[in-house]
Amino acid sequence: MTFSSAVSRLPLLLLGMLALVSGVLAGLARLAVDVPVFAAAQAGSHGALMICGFLGTVIALERAVALAASGLSWPFLGPLSAGSGGLALLFGAPLVLTQFLFIAASAIVTAGSALLFVRQPAIYLATLTLGALSWLAGNLVWMVAGTLLPAVPWWLAFLVLTIAGERLELTRFLPTPQTARQGFAAIVIGLLGAATLSLWFEPAGLSLFALMLVALAAWLLRHDIARQTVRQRGLTRYIAVCLLTGYVWLAVGGLLGVFGGLVPGNQWRDAALHAILLGFVFAMIFGHAPIIFPAVAKVKIPYHPAFYLPLALLHLTVFARIVGDLAPLPVMTQAAAIGNALTLLAFVLTILVQVFSARAR
Amino acid sequence: MNHSSALPEPDALREALREVIDPEVGVNIVDLGLVYRLAYEDGVVVVEMTMTSPACPLGDMIADEVDEVLRRRLPPNTPIDVRLVWDPPWSPEMMSAAARRHFDRQWSA
Repeated sequence: MTFSSAVSRLPLLLLGMLALVSGVLAGLARLAVDVPVFAAAQAGSHGALMICGFLGTVIALERAVALAASGLSWPFLGPLSAGSGGLALLFGAPLVLTQFLFIAASAIVTAGSALLFVRQPAIYLATLTLGALSWLAGNLVWMVAGTLLPAVPWWLAFLVLTIAGERLELTRFLPTPQTARQGFAAIVIGLLGAATLSLWFEPAGLSLFALMLVALAAWLLRHDIARQTVRQRGLTRYIAVCLLTGYVWLAVGGLLGVFGGLVPGNQWRDAALHAILLGFVFAMIFGHAPIIFPAVAKVKIPYHPAFYLPLALLHLTVFARIVGDLAPLPVMTQAAAIGNALTLLAFVLTILVQVFSARAR
Repeated sequence: MNHSSALPEPDALREALREVIDPEVGVNIVDLGLVYRLAYEDGVVVVEMTMTSPACPLGDMIADEVDEVLRRRLPPNTPIDVRLVWDPPWSPEMMSAAARRHFDRQWSA
């Protein structure tokens, strides 16, 4: 089977989207929102569906498309495994099968990334590889511990390092001082050290982990090329706005985490996790979907200023959710979560409208 | 040159590739130093280009755009071969002076 054509990639993307939709509904079920039965049954799997089923599939697919340019097709087994893992969760397959599929997916992404690093030993490729390895570590921890709670910091490290590695790559356009690069490396090592520590000393490890997230947010706000490209126009500026505003949420989530917000059962946990995973990670996705989606699915998505609308909604609803969590006002948290879901829907619709308007032209 | 006079010079084609912009940084691929070689080989327009990172999934898409831009300037059915190469790996020194000034000026601004 060849994956070079868009036709064969699309089902992989659809598997990811299926995990996204069911994962979002499962998340709403946790906040006592009425959702279809199939999704309500997944309430306990919200994190696994969102991070492994959706983001894992999409990131694995993105990496596989990059590796395809070097003539490799086996990396496409990564998104296939991750997408199948999401399906296995939805169909109520034995948990061990789901875990095996996610472990396979993360091992494949790690191998593909490591291959790139061996070919070209650069810090940013090491960071991407460590990100993939963190996903693998999290999946193994999930299997061994029998609960996904201790896997969460590893899964966060997976996403944060994947994004940070890609951003570090782009800082090469700027004369970034050597000390800044060393600082970046120190933060990455600190993050992974803290995740390891959290396996045995949970509150201390998670606070240190969160402190590293704050440091990383500060590093990115200071050194990311987005600070320069935000002065350009059109799509380039839009991407930069997504990034810079996302970094603020990473800092907010990190700060809440420093004071215990990442510890299971803590009243700030929903706020800390969603500042990072929605505010930061999804702002990144909103920014890059208009360039990554065309590369993966081979369709054109022309830029339109309307892209700012879902981005504004994202920030607004994440803010409302965090206020609802901290107040605490459960009704507000619930309403904001529905707003979060509608924001994702608005984003997908905006993208689809642009895809079809480009086709019609 | 022993090519048909209808074919544009390689330098002119290379200039034309300034239309292809890296959307993330808003700078064209020629100034970024991503176009390693553009030449006629036995009547085929051969382009060797790279991406700033081998982990970047945009390679195919940008290669398609290069193909499209060249096609508009060449007689119909001129064979074009756009190859993504990774050796040597891209480095910031490959950027044009203009691109470096662009980033440097913004850096110090």
